Amino acid sequence: MKPERWQKIDELFHAAVERNDGERAAFLNDACAGDESLRKQVEALLAGHEQAGSFIESPAMEVEARGVAADPENKEAELANGETVSHYRIISPLGSGGMGDVYLAQDTVLSRQVALKLLPENFTRDRERLHRFQQEARAASALNHPNIITIYEIGLVEGRHFIAIEFIDGQTLRQNFFGDGSHTSGKQLRLRDVLDIAIQTADALAAAHEAGIVHRDIKPENIMVRRRDGYVKVLDFGLAKLAEGAVDSEAPTRAQVKTSVGVVMGTVTYMSPEQARGEPVDARTDVWSLGVVLYELVAGCVPFKRSTQSEVIASILEREPPPLARYASEVPPELERIVIKALTKDREARYQTAKDLLVDLRRLRQRLDVEAEIERTAEPEKGREEKAVATGNEQTAAVTAQAAGVATKDTAVTHSASPAKWITLNKRGALILISGLVVASVVAYFAYSRYAAGIKAGTIRRVAVLPFANKSGNPDMDYLSDGISESLINSLSQLPGVTVIARNSSFTYKGKEADAQEVANALGVEGLLTGRVTQSGDNLLISVELMDARDKTQVWGQQYNRKSSDLLAVQAEISQEIADRLRLKLTGAERQQLGKLPTENLKAFQYYMQGRGYAHRRTREDSLASIRYCEKAIEEDRNYALAYAGLADAYITLGSRSYIAPQEGRRKAEEAAHKALALDENLAEAHAALGSFYVTFAPYNFLLSDRELRRAIELSPSLAMAYQFLGVSLARRGRLDEGLEELLKARELDPLSSIIARSTGLPYYLKRDYGRALELLRQANELGPAFTTVWEIGVYTHNRLFDEALAELEKAKQERKDDPLLIFSTGMVYAAQGKRAEALQIIKELEGVSGASLSQAQYVAKIYAALNERELALTWMERSLAAGAIGAFFKDEQVWDPIRSDRRFGDLLRRMGVTP
Amino acid sequence: MATTSPHKVTELLLDWSNGNQAALDRLMPLVDRELHRLAHHYMRRENAGHTLQTTALVNEAYLRLVDQKRMHWKNRAHFFALSAQLMRRILVDHARKCKYAKRGGDAQRISFDEVMAVSSERGADLIALDDALEKLAVIDLRKSRVVELRFFGGLSVEETAEALSVSPLTVKRDWKMAKAWLYNSLSNET
Repeated sequence: MKPERWQKIDELFHAAVERNDGERAAFLNDACAGDESLRKQVEALLAGHEQAGSFIESPAMEVEARGVAADPENKEAELANGETVSHYRIISPLGSGGMGDVYLAQDTVLSRQVALKLLPENFTRDRERLHRFQQEARAASALNHPNIITIYEIGLVEGRHFIAIEFIDGQTLRQNFFGDGSHTSGKQLRLRDVLDIAIQTADALAAAHEAGIVHRDIKPENIMVRRRDGYVKVLDFGLAKLAEGAVDSEAPTRAQVKTSVGVVMGTVTYMSPEQARGEPVDARTDVWSLGVVLYELVAGCVPFKRSTQSEVIASILEREPPPLARYASEVPPELERIVIKALTKDREARYQTAKDLLVDLRRLRQRLDVEAEIERTAEPEKGREEKAVATGNEQTAAVTAQAAGVATKDTAVTHSASPAKWITLNKRGALILISGLVVASVVAYFAYSRYAAGIKAGTIRRVAVLPFANKSGNPDMDYLSDGISESLINSLSQLPGVTVIARNSSFTYKGKEADAQEVANALGVEGLLTGRVTQSGDNLLISVELMDARDKTQVWGQQYNRKSSDLLAVQAEISQEIADRLRLKLTGAERQQLGKLPTENLKAFQYYMQGRGYAHRRTREDSLASIRYCEKAIEEDRNYALAYAGLADAYITLGSRSYIAPQEGRRKAEEAAHKALALDENLAEAHAALGSFYVTFAPYNFLLSDRELRRAIELSPSLAMAYQFLGVSLARRGRLDEGLEELLKARELDPLSSIIARSTGLPYYLKRDYGRALELLRQANELGPAFTTVWEIGVYTHNRLFDEALAELEKAKQERKDDPLLIFSTGMVYAAQGKRAEALQIIKELEGVSGASLSQAQYVAKIYAALNERELALTWMERSLAAGAIGAFFKDEQVWDPIRSDRRFGDLLRRMGVTP
Repeated sequence: MATTSPHKVTELLLDWSNGNQAALDRLMPLVDRELHRLAHHYMRRENAGHTLQTTALVNEAYLRLVDQKRMHWKNRAHFFALSAQLMRRILVDHARKCKYAKRGGDAQRISFDEVMAVSSERGADLIALDDALEKLAVIDLRKSRVVELRFFGGLSVEETAEALSVSPLTVKRDWKMAKAWLYNSLSNET
């Protein structure tokens, strides 16, 4: 489908969806203007939209999991009222929690009401669930505290596990204050009541912790308030576990499993950071969770409120909660402090025990009571009072209180203090709040700069040399500015310890104004080297700047005012200076190498550059043009080793793709590569070209190739193409992950090269991850120039998108007439479609193009393989190998599957130098 | 067992988030390995009735692999986006295996399919959906990514928007259309 068409459908679909049923038909009639097929497509989508319902609305994993939950086995028939379990008679259901249903029941022996918690049968079949259940019972029974619910009995009757618990006539905090979890609309509590609840809960936890029991699951559902007297009862020590009993070899795994269960079964809202991380937890986790509950009680919403669980977890780990004062303006700063301390992510800095928290909460309550009392008894002196308090000095307040002769001990008397009594604290609260904010910003600032410093890691490790600007006012002088940039790239590439982006990527920015940071991001560098070249007469003015793109600061800048004849010397000077600035320690030889230029003939250099420009697209025409320019360069400078290397590279392309007879390509590539090395044994590009040669034409020589390519990398650690060749070579042998690794190194060095980007898709293609392969191929096309490859067509074909594949091929053929690769790809599509006659016709066509050189033999073999003609496929591969015509071959390609198991194929591979 | 240093993953994640595409491909196998490990770990567990959530699983991988202190929530969105892709592969591969196992009669049951292999039909759905999604990717890559992130990665609309650098509105629109398209695509096949 054409993108424009799809776009149109997209637009109409949305426009139609927004209209009501009555208007739709008329709208579509109008909008489609007689295009029946368009109308049908939109209508089909609208119908799909109507019918889809909850289709794919739940994430995949949950859909699978829900299947389990929906299993009727998991649904427990509710116990009917009046039914008995052991000596408990069911009165009514109370609710159900994560660990089972709870009923109000009558203990017929002791004549009292109990809460009976019954585990569903299938739950108790699960050893871990049962174990957890028993843990809860044991742990809770071991405690004897007014704020901890009492366990009467743990039992098993007729295979049913149950637990009889003290019945509390009251509500959980969830039911009482927070409603159904929407959290925001809950009833606002008086501050005093909040403190009472928090204090009692902390008291319960302190006792439990002392007994070595950690609750691990403190949340509003587990905290009950008795209706009669407001007494708090902490429920469900189900996750509690004797802390000291946790020391065994499996402890870390267990803790993690526990956490994962917690994540899965309950809410993550109250989870501590260490719980979220799956680390072993201790009493401090309960402190955190109580901190969350306390926050929620005051603010009316939870501190880490997000729409998905994963986001909640992330904010638990990374974010600071909004100050309480945002929700409740009358919050005493001391309470804010307590909550912040309880909600400190680093548990070492948190309250270390529930007891510590308890002490602070009690002290706060006491102080507030005192202050409330002062206010009540010293109404006329209110102004003075506030002033004293506003100093933030508790001593002053206490002294004033004493001076006023107010009783400070009897806190119970002021039990029902009205909220109004807290209001006087407002101004002081605001003051402290503001200073708190200032401190917070300062802390945040320092945290940030430390973070930034961490990224910076002191030095620049990746640099891009952008094309120097030609300020001579004469475009013909571009070769000079380009030449200087190129030389700097070449010489800096040889530096150990610094990565230099390949010319191909850097030069994308030639003549463009771009934001330094954007360029640096696109190229993945920290440092940018820019410069300007002005030539007037015999004078040369070069200004160079090395910039740290992270903060846009200049690391170094220099102007060189020289004679044109000194160009070489200046370049060497610049390279050395930069090495110093990057604090690279160079050996004498390395330092010397920096000054070396591949050619002293700038004209030759210019031709070479043009030639390399054509190497970007591997069409026949471009490769031939590349050869022409390299040859011109060599005419200018007979000893220009780099140009020979460029020549070798182009012949490899031509030969391997059968644009010329593979034998010819092979011979000329080898010749040029050896010539380049003869001229300069230390030329990395020459080693790279030779290394590539060894693995381009079967039989391959991986040993020699590896050696050459490694040598190239050694000579020039930033030489992208060496990694690229190595990557492809590894992929040929089926070492796909290693190959990918090398290709990615190449892409890091030359991030804007479409060829390299394209080649990173190859390992994925061979792994048959066609989606990812296509994505990478498309990315490559975006980098431009677009180029339809065999692989892209292969992806379409494997996805059975034949029309798209053929359309793409037609488009490509307009530009690349008679390109055997395109003809071959067409044949592969036909074969996959089962259009045998058409595929065979393509084979004929290939034979025609191929002539006597048999250069298309491998393609013919592939089409036969795709047609499942094993014998013919093998025969043609043999012919191809015999003629030395096998270029690009990858043993993992899916097309070989039909003959892969054939012994003769394995034998063929071995003769090609590939281990089957 | 070879462990992946949080340092390496963190670096790569930061690099990638800063626009270095190559870092992604280095990152992918590391995350993939961890997700696989965790997925199998979860799937192997015998506790039927425990629900398994993508977000929980991916989050665990994130916590294990990444140094939280150096992360920004946007980096996290990127990590989740990446994981969505990997989770898709894990789930689909798994569905394939289950389907295969079913077809092979009482051939050896795959050890970790207690939670997942609820029915071979559902597995088949997942495979069909995966195929349809591949086709959608060819027509409209972004829409297919939206579905991948939301359905396989469990990301919210906002997270998806962040991961794809588009507005939440675009995500919602893409989702609506993609859902209808996929629904039709699957209905037509059966």
